[in-house]
Amino acid sequence: MDKLKALFVTEALELIADLERVLLEFEKDLHNEESVQVIFRVMHTLKGSASMFGFDTLSALTHDLETVYDAIRDGKIIATLEILDITLKSVDHLKKVIHDPSLGNSDLLKKHHDLLTAIKKVAQLHHDEIGADYSIGKSFLATYYIYCKPSFSIFKNGTNPLFLIDDLVALGDALVLPRMDLLPDFNHMNPGECYTSFEVILVTDKPAAEISGVFIFVEDACEIIIEKISEANLLLHDSFVARMKGDHDLSVAPFGLEIVMRLAENATVTPEAKSVQFVATRVDSSSIRVASDKLDELMNLVSELVTSQARLSLLAEQHGLAELTNVSENMEKITRRLRDNAFNICLVPIESLVIRFQRLVRDLSKELKKEIDFVAEGTDTELDRSIIEKVTDPILHILRNCLDHGIESPEERVRQGKKKEGKINLKAFHSGTSVVIQIKDDGRGVDIEKVRQKAIAKGLIKKETLYSEQEIIDLIFSPGFSTADQITDVSGRGVGMDIVRRNIESIQGEVTLTSILGQGTTISIKLPLTLSIVDGMLVQIGDSKYILPLTAIDKCYEIEARRISSDLSQKHVFDGMLLPVFNLHQVFREKANEHGVIQIIKIAYEAFPIGITVDQVIGEYQAVMKPLGNMYHDQDEFSGATILGDGSVALVIDTDKLIKQLTAKVVENNVLVN
Amino acid sequence: MESDILQSQSYLTFRLGDEIFAASVLSVIEILELSKITKVPGSPHFMRGVINLRGNVLPVIDARLKFGLPRIDDTVNTCVMVLSIECEEQKITIGALVDAVQEVLEIDRKDIQPAPSIGSKYRTEFIDGMVKRNDDFIMVLDLDLVFSQDEIMLLQNTEGNVA
Amino acid sequence: MSKTILIADDSESIRELVEITLKSAGYNVLKSVDGVDALKHLNGQTIDLVITDLNMPALDGIALIKEIRARQDYSTLPILLLTTESQAAKKEEAKQAGATGWIVKPFAQEKLLAVIQKVIR
Repeated sequence: MDKLKALFVTEALELIADLERVLLEFEKDLHNEESVQVIFRVMHTLKGSASMFGFDTLSALTHDLETVYDAIRDGKIIATLEILDITLKSVDHLKKVIHDPSLGNSDLLKKHHDLLTAIKKVAQLHHDEIGADYSIGKSFLATYYIYCKPSFSIFKNGTNPLFLIDDLVALGDALVLPRMDLLPDFNHMNPGECYTSFEVILVTDKPAAEISGVFIFVEDACEIIIEKISEANLLLHDSFVARMKGDHDLSVAPFGLEIVMRLAENATVTPEAKSVQFVATRVDSSSIRVASDKLDELMNLVSELVTSQARLSLLAEQHGLAELTNVSENMEKITRRLRDNAFNICLVPIESLVIRFQRLVRDLSKELKKEIDFVAEGTDTELDRSIIEKVTDPILHILRNCLDHGIESPEERVRQGKKKEGKINLKAFHSGTSVVIQIKDDGRGVDIEKVRQKAIAKGLIKKETLYSEQEIIDLIFSPGFSTADQITDVSGRGVGMDIVRRNIESIQGEVTLTSILGQGTTISIKLPLTLSIVDGMLVQIGDSKYILPLTAIDKCYEIEARRISSDLSQKHVFDGMLLPVFNLHQVFREKANEHGVIQIIKIAYEAFPIGITVDQVIGEYQAVMKPLGNMYHDQDEFSGATILGDGSVALVIDTDKLIKQLTAKVVENNVLVN
Repeated sequence: MESDILQSQSYLTFRLGDEIFAASVLSVIEILELSKITKVPGSPHFMRGVINLRGNVLPVIDARLKFGLPRIDDTVNTCVMVLSIECEEQKITIGALVDAVQEVLEIDRKDIQPAPSIGSKYRTEFIDGMVKRNDDFIMVLDLDLVFSQDEIMLLQNTEGNVA
Repeated sequence: MSKTILIADDSESIRELVEITLKSAGYNVLKSVDGVDALKHLNGQTIDLVITDLNMPALDGIALIKEIRARQDYSTLPILLLTTESQAAKKEEAKQAGATGWIVKPFAQEKLLAVIQKVIR
């Protein structure tokens, strides 16, 4: 070591000489950035080496000098002759210190402190306490949940994620669950990318800081969650371990913190309380995990069965055989129950979503420096898996908006006399055959006047026309509308609430917004329980059969065929009211009946009712929805198709979209006399 | 041997009017008899509608209209070729209505000659090339091109949606 | 087979200290005085780890990392950066460039070996 120290002294003296030379050059041209670079670099090397070999006094002084030149380099401080003067004095001093690093000479010691003070003064250094905030206390055994999802490109950092897992395991007893749900199929796999994530249950008596220490090099290259889930050793609870292990299917998605927390709670409560807990949270130990494609297959088979059943019923009716009718009716009952059961299986509680929402709120509130209290209620409300998938992005967008534009900064909130923490409440509940997800914040609310002005400026509405508050609020959902004064990184970028509405409507949902200025905003999303079946009414128009959703139908009227004109839009009086009627025969280019009667179906369309013409109402029909596919992407007046009992295909009409299109068309043609 | 496999491919030939066309068998899933087609109002004229393919909905394109040939009434020979094509990097299944399906042929790549581009009664941009068989010329199709989404979109836009 | 570690540091004393520490732990050591010198060793031979200083006269640490990552054979080679507390911003830059981890100077010899253990085994 002494040999190395001697080597260092020689080296240090060379460095100090270099430094002196460059400083003198710098004196001639205080704007020379290159000189600053070199000065900084030399100081840095000197400091590093000095500290390595125990020359702490030398290292400390050089550190402060280096900080000054770092600031100069970054343009935070302007180089002055005063600074240079102090630096040169320091350099002279360093030459002495290197031979007396413990500052035994009292003159040297005094000089040292004077210089330190002088340097700090010129640099106006903020002296941040540098120190680890590891709270080292007495540690007890605890169970931690650790989730680690390396970025796809982690190998490119020379990191082997398995070492991280090894390090974790070395801290105590661990259950490691690799998750490969993100693994693409073979053809799309890039062997240079990491697709695996890990969930680890770790039982250790080491402090949490030591666990996070494992990930010190990969904090940015991994998504990491470390959370204490129990003060007990959960690995001793067989039921917990069994639940975590599942059926060893690697393609299972990670459980996520919230679910693991719940499992942990269940594992540790007393047996009595446990049963109660189980009922309350629906975590049933007898449940199994099923791959989603198996469910899809089941749903397909059930759909085919329902379709075949319709055919059987039709045959039984046509042949009028009592025995066949009996069998058919019995089959129909069973099929219906099977169908309901199968649909039920595909329902999942929305809590799987809530975790993602919590994460977003947590991350975003940090980023935006806002304090948010996020509460989710009714997370056990169930929805069809495919709906959950499609509603996630819109809700994430709404939450982003909420955090970015809705909730005020803590300072502003305090000024307004509100609590410092903003509140976002997500609530899910059943309402009839729908599920409603409500997102409520106590932020600044929507400024109706501002929206109105902006809509006028954007040419969305006319200045002279009077609009109700709700009508103005609805403008927020118009394409291209965005109320934020500034486009922020978080939710600006032109993607607006119109996309949210469109996405939600694409799954037959509705979104509405209510707001009180200064008090907050509530956004409600109404969703159907399932997408795969529609209670419909089978109707005949010309040669074709169509399905109308039962929910849209208000009433049916009869009218003599000759009274229906060939106009697209016309008006007729029913129940003493004038009803606008669209001639669907015209719209669909079906041949119209000239004799007999035509049925007019009154549709509950947004604010006003509209009638449409059909030849015959055949009856109620449970339509198993089939997508029309990409080729008919633009035909959104049809939400899909269904297979009828005779094997033919009937289109399912989305009445809202159809009427919207037709109204637009009529307005365009100026036919509507109003 | 290996080069043979690479060079020659099986093609299914079908007839539209007097012309014979060939489509790679790799794209043809099955041939269906004509069943009741449900029309979809407002779609482009060459989209005949949808049929029930074992419980799923299959869009059917009238190949005659798609190729710019005149429309004729369906006959007993008219059938639906169920095709799997690549469209915007997605595999989609569609049906193509043709006058008659004929036979499966082995065609050597090197026998395919470039197609003449002028003086044709149908649209030639989907033609990969042509081969001579006996006295007939067979048009070899690039199916992915024939049914590319862009093409459909384009036509849709020019024709409008609801009549 | 013992692992080979390449050191790049312009300070001879640090180089020596690191070398002594690594050799005592049974590693093979290759030394270079700066980035350009270090790259000369990356000629196809097996190197298990690179430890580089941040500030070096010819090709600094970050440039060296970028250079190594650009080479097909070494794109996943672990690289540790020698840095000091005051260089937090550089640390970020190095991570972006593809550094596997860092060692904060001053370090004890055991600490150096422990950090190496984190990235190669």
